[in-house]
Amino acid sequence: MSKNTITETKLVKGLKTKFNKQITEEYVEPNRIKISTSPTNLKAVALAIKELGFDQIISQGATDYPDDNLFRVEYHAICVSIKKFRRIMFAIMTTIPKNKPEIETLLDIWPSVEFHEQETFENFGITFLNHPRMERLLLPEDWDDIPPLRKDFSLPGRD
Amino acid sequence: MQVVDQGGDKMVLHVGPQHPGSGHFRIVITLDGDYIIDAKPDPGYVHRGAEKMAEYRTYIQNIPHLERPVIIDATGITLPYVLTAEKILDVEPPERAQYIRMIMAELNRIISHLYWLAIYGIFLGHSTMFMWPMGDRELFIDLAESIGGTRVTFSYVVPGGVRNDIPGGFKERALKTFQYFEKRIKEYEEIFFNNPLMQSRTVGIGILKKQNAVKLGITGPNLRASGINSDTRKDEPYCFYNKIRFDIPVYKEGDSYARCMVRLRELQQSMDIIRQVLDRMKPGPIKHVIRGVMRGEPGEAFVRTEAARGTMFYHIVSNGERFPYRVKISVPSFRNLIGMSHLLVGSRLADMPAIYWSLDYWPVEADK
Amino acid sequence: METFEDFLKRILSILFWLLLLSPVIIFPVFFLLIPLLGISVPTTNEFLTALIDPIKGIQLANKYGVGPSSTFFKIAAFPGFTFAALIATITILYERKLIAKVQLRVGPLYAGRFEGVLQPIADLFKLLGKEIVVPEKADKFFFWSAPILSIGLGAALLAVLPLSPNIYIARSDVSLLIPFAIIGFSPLIVLIAAWASSNKFAFIGGLRALHQLVAYEIPMLISVLGVVILSGSLDLISIVESQQQVWFIFPQLLGAIIFYITILSELERVPFDIPEAETELVSGWLTEYTGMHFGLLQLGVYIKFYALSLLFTLLFLGGWYGPAFLPPLAWLLIKLFFVITIVILPRAVMPRLRIDQLIRLGWVWLIVLSFINLFIAVIEVSLGVI
Repeated sequence: MSKNTITETKLVKGLKTKFNKQITEEYVEPNRIKISTSPTNLKAVALAIKELGFDQIISQGATDYPDDNLFRVEYHAICVSIKKFRRIMFAIMTTIPKNKPEIETLLDIWPSVEFHEQETFENFGITFLNHPRMERLLLPEDWDDIPPLRKDFSLPGRD
Repeated sequence: MQVVDQGGDKMVLHVGPQHPGSGHFRIVITLDGDYIIDAKPDPGYVHRGAEKMAEYRTYIQNIPHLERPVIIDATGITLPYVLTAEKILDVEPPERAQYIRMIMAELNRIISHLYWLAIYGIFLGHSTMFMWPMGDRELFIDLAESIGGTRVTFSYVVPGGVRNDIPGGFKERALKTFQYFEKRIKEYEEIFFNNPLMQSRTVGIGILKKQNAVKLGITGPNLRASGINSDTRKDEPYCFYNKIRFDIPVYKEGDSYARCMVRLRELQQSMDIIRQVLDRMKPGPIKHVIRGVMRGEPGEAFVRTEAARGTMFYHIVSNGERFPYRVKISVPSFRNLIGMSHLLVGSRLADMPAIYWSLDYWPVEADK
Repeated sequence: METFEDFLKRILSILFWLLLLSPVIIFPVFFLLIPLLGISVPTTNEFLTALIDPIKGIQLANKYGVGPSSTFFKIAAFPGFTFAALIATITILYERKLIAKVQLRVGPLYAGRFEGVLQPIADLFKLLGKEIVVPEKADKFFFWSAPILSIGLGAALLAVLPLSPNIYIARSDVSLLIPFAIIGFSPLIVLIAAWASSNKFAFIGGLRALHQLVAYEIPMLISVLGVVILSGSLDLISIVESQQQVWFIFPQLLGAIIFYITILSELERVPFDIPEAETELVSGWLTEYTGMHFGLLQLGVYIKFYALSLLFTLLFLGGWYGPAFLPPLAWLLIKLFFVITIVILPRAVMPRLRIDQLIRLGWVWLIVLSFINLFIAVIEVSLGVI
C-alpha cells in the first residue's frame, strides 16, 4: 500500500466492514478501485457506494467468458460533486451465469445508467429486471441474430 | 392531410434522420400546440459495432479504427484508447511525446468546438456564425495537419509515443494563429454572443439544474455549465496536465447560453495550454519503439480523459493475445443523450435546435 | 467538363437552328391557317425585318396594339412584370454576393466571366431542369395553384406603383391602399401551400406564417397612415410630389422604422424567417415544393420584395426626387437599391427569433409605436411643421 492510495484503501475498508464477506477486493491502485460482489448483493453495495459520493455512472458494460459460461457485468462509478473523490474511478463487478442472464437494474440508484443498461441488453442479451425501457437502442429493431458482442457471434470473414 | 388523432390537439413529429437539424439521429417529439410534451431520442442510425470490430484488430490497427466515431475530435477519442493500451502493454511514452499529445488534444478540442460553434450558429439561423468558425477552423486544421499529416483523421497518437515529431517552425505558426484567433473570438462575441437576439434565444432556455446534471450523468462542458467544477484534466491529470496552469471555465446558470459560453472560454483555454506546452517542451525522443507484435499481459485497464464533448472512457480487457479481448468505450455524447429528453420536455418547438445542439451531441460518436 | 458558358452556347445554337427551320414549320401554320380564321397577321417580310430592326419592330408592335405605350406592354414588360422580375433577379445575385462578402466568402463565382453574374440564369436553368414532385397525399389542385397565386400576387402589387411621374401602369386616387389590400391575400396563399402539401413541417410553417403575417400587416398599415396625414393624399404620385422639399423619413422616422421591420417580417427574412426555420421545420411551408414550383414561389417572394422596397422608397425616401444631374428613374433605382441593401443586411448579423417573441413584438410593441407615430404626424400637421 503506497502513500497515494490511502483514500482508496479507506473506502474499500469501510465497505468491507459494512458488507463483511459479501464483497471481494479485486485490486486497489492509485485512482482505481475494483470490487466484486454477487448479483444478489449488487444493489445494496451500489447503494452504499452511491452514498459514499460516487454519484455518476461513467460506464456500464459486460464481458463474455464462454469458457466459464458466465458474463462479467461491470459498473464504473465516478464522483463529480465531492472534490477529494473526483480522481477515483470505482468499478463494481459481478458475474452472472450465461444460461440465466438476468440482473436487477440499478436505474433507481444511478439514473445515468439507463442507456448503458439498454446497450448491454442488446449487445449481450442480459435482461435488467425492472428497467422501464428494456428495448433495443442502437441495433435495428428487426435484429434477429444473437446479441452481437457475445463471443459466439462471429463476424463473417473474420473467423 | 393525414392527421393521426393523438387525443386533443397533439401532434407527433419525427425529427430526423432526414432533417437538416438532426444529423444521423431521430428524435420523436410529441407536441401540444407549440410545447413539447414528450421527446424520445432514437439513436442507432450509424451504429457500426466499433466495440465488436475492435476485438478483431491488433492494438495498432485499432487506432485508425476507433477514431472513426468522432473524426472531428480524433485525438480526443484515440488518446484514451492509447493510454489504456499502454497500461496493458506496459510501456511508458517519453516526456516530449506526452507534451505533443497534449498539443494535439487541445488543437482537436479547438477544432471540435469551432465545428460545434458553426453548427450552433446556423441552428439559431445566424448564417455568418456558420461561415466564420468554419473558416477559422481551417487554420487550426492546418496546424494539426502539419503535425499529424492529414486534415482530420490523424491516427497520430500510438502506444509508446507519437508517430512523428512536430515540424520546425510550428511554434511560430501556432503563436501567429492564436494571436489572430484571439482577435476573432472578440468578433464572435460582438456579432453572436453579445447579440441581444441570440441571448433572447438562449438565456434561460433549457436549464439543467446542478443536481439534475449530476443525477443524469451529464459530462463535459454541459456539466461545467451547470456549475460543477469537474474536468478530468484537473481531477485525474493524464499526460502533463498537472504541470500546466489553467482554470476550468464554469458557469452556474445551466442554460443553453452558459453551455455556449463554457465552450467559447475553452477555446481560449486550449490556446493558453498549448502556449505553455510549447514553452515547456524540450527536445528528446518521441517514441518508445515496441518491437514485434504488441501483446499485453492478461489483465484489464480502464482510463478516462477529457475529450471535447466530455469524459471519454475506455475499458480494455486483454487475455494476452494480439487482439484485445473486449473493448468497452463510453463516449460523452452517449451519456449526454439522456439529458436531451429531460431538457426538451416542456420547452417550445422553436427551442429544440437551441437546446439540442447546445448539448453538442454527436450522433456518430454516440452510436459507435 | 462543360462550363456554364458552353451550356449557354449550346442553348443559343439550338435556338438558332429552330429559327432557321421556322420558315418550314411555323410560317405555313402562321401565314396560311390563321388568315383563314379572319385574323390579320404580319407578312413574312415584316416579321423577319422586325426581328433584326428594333425600330421596325416597335412599329410592328404598335400596329398590333402591343407597343411600348400600350397597356399590355406596361403590364408585361415595363414597368410591370418583366422589369420587376429583372430587379428581383438582380436582387438575388446582389444578396448572395453581399452576404458572401460579410461572411468572408466569395459567393457565386464561376457562371459568367465576371464574379458569377450569370448565376441567376444558371439557377433558372437548374430549376427548369428539375422534376416537379407532387406528393402523393397532396391536394393536387391547391398544391399547383399556390405557386401561380404567389407570383400573381407579386405581379398584382406592381399595378399601381409608379416609377416616375409618367411611368406607371395605372393611377388611382387610392393607389396607396391597393398594395395593402393585395398583401392581405399572402397569408392565405401560404396557408393553401402549407395545407395542400400534406406535410407536418409545412403545416406548422404555414400556421406560423399565418400568425406572423397577420400580426405584422396591421402595424404596417398604421405606420403608413402618418405619411397619408402629412401628404393629405392616398395617391402615391401625389405622396411623392409632396416630398419635393422634405423626405417623409425625417418627420416620420418612427413610422419608417416600423415599416422597415414589417417589411422584414412580411418577406420572412432574418430575423423573422420563422416560417421557414430550417433547423426546426426543414423548409417550413416550402418543404414539399420542388423544381420550378419552388422557383415560382421564390420569384413571387422576390417580386414582393421589390414591390415593398419600392413602396418604402416612394413613401419615405422621396421617390424619384434628387439633384437634376441624373434622371428621375435613376434616382429612384439608387434609392431602391439602398432600401434593398438594408433589408438584406440583417441576414448577415442576426439569428432567428422565436414565434412567441415575434408575435409579442408585433401585437404589443409595433402596434403601440405605430399609433404613437400617428399622433406624431397629427401634431406635426397641426403645428404646421410640414
